[in-house]
Amino acid sequence: MDGQLSAPTQATSLFDQTVIPGDIIVDLPSVANLRVGSGLRQDCFELLAMKVGTLRYKKPNKYWLESSHKRYDPSVEDTILGIVVGRNSENFLVDIKSSSLALLPVVAFEGGTKKNIPKLEIGSLLYVRVVKANHGTNPELSCTDASGKAAQFGPLKEGYMFDSSTGLARMLLSTPTCPVLQAFDLQRFKIVIGLNGRIWVNASTPSMVVLISNAIMASEFLSASQQANMVKELTDQLQTRCSVR
Amino acid sequence: MEQRLANTWHMTINEKKFIESALSKNIRVDGRSPVDYRQLTIKFGREDGSSEVQLGETHVIGLVSGQIVQPYRDRPNEGTLAIFTEFSPMADPAFEPGRPGEFAIELGRLIDRGLRESRAVDMESLCIVAGKSVWAIRVDLHILDNGGNLIDTANIAALAALLTYRKPECTLGGENGQDVVVHDPEVREPLPLIIHHMPVAVTFAFFNEGDAMVIDPTHKEEAIMGGRMTATLNSNGDVCAVQKAGGDGVSLSVITHCLRLAALKAVDITSKIKNAVDSYNTARALRKVKRHNALVAPDITVPDSVMKGNQIGQLAEHQAQKFKEESTKTFDTETVVGIPKETVLFNKKNINFIRKDSDSFIGGPSNWDPYSQSIPPTFVRSSQIFPGLHSSS
Repeated sequence: MDGQLSAPTQATSLFDQTVIPGDIIVDLPSVANLRVGSGLRQDCFELLAMKVGTLRYKKPNKYWLESSHKRYDPSVEDTILGIVVGRNSENFLVDIKSSSLALLPVVAFEGGTKKNIPKLEIGSLLYVRVVKANHGTNPELSCTDASGKAAQFGPLKEGYMFDSSTGLARMLLSTPTCPVLQAFDLQRFKIVIGLNGRIWVNASTPSMVVLISNAIMASEFLSASQQANMVKELTDQLQTRCSVR
Repeated sequence: MEQRLANTWHMTINEKKFIESALSKNIRVDGRSPVDYRQLTIKFGREDGSSEVQLGETHVIGLVSGQIVQPYRDRPNEGTLAIFTEFSPMADPAFEPGRPGEFAIELGRLIDRGLRESRAVDMESLCIVAGKSVWAIRVDLHILDNGGNLIDTANIAALAALLTYRKPECTLGGENGQDVVVHDPEVREPLPLIIHHMPVAVTFAFFNEGDAMVIDPTHKEEAIMGGRMTATLNSNGDVCAVQKAGGDGVSLSVITHCLRLAALKAVDITSKIKNAVDSYNTARALRKVKRHNALVAPDITVPDSVMKGNQIGQLAEHQAQKFKEESTKTFDTETVVGIPKETVLFNKKNINFIRKDSDSFIGGPSNWDPYSQSIPPTFVRSSQIFPGLHSSS
């Protein structure tokens, strides 16, 4: 691993650019060691893009593709929202919007033992972490952080969950805070964003929840100022409606 | 089993509880009021009789096609109308490929009932020779995306497609005068179907054992609703069909309230469909005008006869107006519909002339005549340079 490694010449132009399947990202002999993320594949001495997305690079040697889909391609250490759809003696079966169901071991909770299994109904919403994501096997989830603490993971009560694209979820999680979230008073609602394109919102009143969820869904393709304007408009509308009643 | 679980859509307890509790306060998760419809978009394909309707996230394509068949024995002078639905698994993973599901059949039958039982489409005008050949009209409805309320969307798609469909004109000819001759649409303008009125389906969903009622339910609302009722009405407020299959019981007063609401929505939706169809007809006529113009323009040297841009627009509107008139009045066999008598080229009396002279006529739309309404003297002069018109007079 060479910390000072500069990016190979033919790839520099592609960073933060949109690439399409078959684009050659790196000629491998020119680089010593690579860490390759989702959407990229090694083909002999070339690193190829496998889907449409934006190429990202992080020093020293991490490459990955970011794209926006309705389906989720699990990768390790993502924090996501899953729905319990069934269970067997070992695992809860969890739907995470990927092509196969994910498995959540019944002991993967803080202080979890075989005798102390949490009661999760079918249809419960869980905030979980991806532990294993290998092709050909079901992804494995956990409701603890790496050190075994619950750390916010676990079932979410009440509130409202809606689906978005994975790109929107990533946009909302990015720093600095996304303008649409900034436009609301962050103290007045709770939000949990899963990288798999599921968003959970809770606030004191249902109308507030509806307002926030619709503002988020509408914000995907708007610029920062447009987002702020839209939120302002929606809030005004809500107020006039309330005052009419 | 596991694969099926992975491929179906799941609803969380959180969503279910939230939607129900919000509805009890008259709030819907997409910000509408309980009696609001989602945004309706109607588009048309380039071919006649193809429509694409979007209602919120729901997306349906309607296609109308016609075929000449032998009529049923008991109705020798009526054509047929059949509705076919296609539920693709792309629209919703819950739709299974192959055999149509229960809902697919219900949807087809409901639309079929609305259109047929109310006699919206004139069946007798589809007859060519009684007992021998009639038009069989087939409506295919393809569900592209299921965002809830498929019934209303598919019904609008079927109506829009039927309103823009044109069947080729047929006459009797041949040696014995009994053979059906189907005329090329290039030679004779195809005729629209005769639609007497538009039955519009309006769907209601009931929640909490009939406590809450919403119009135009979304996919999520459909997943948790207790019962559903579809009322099919036309813009005059005549009830054409009502469907309430199982689910929560509702009181008579709620049903009358729903019917009153549905009548209002039907007027609204009918006007939207009409506007869309009118603008389609205008665009269609405009296409024709341009083609004709290109055909004759090189021969014209008199500046008077060069049409300006806005004149072309007026002609198109005029043409569209004619199509509208055609669709409302019944078919008169003596004159070709939409063509003023004095300028008819393909009148039955002149049919010999057409046969004889058809080679010199170079294919332009036959019944298009921009100067039929009021002819200014300058135009009369210039019209003499049109070889086609000149020889006919």
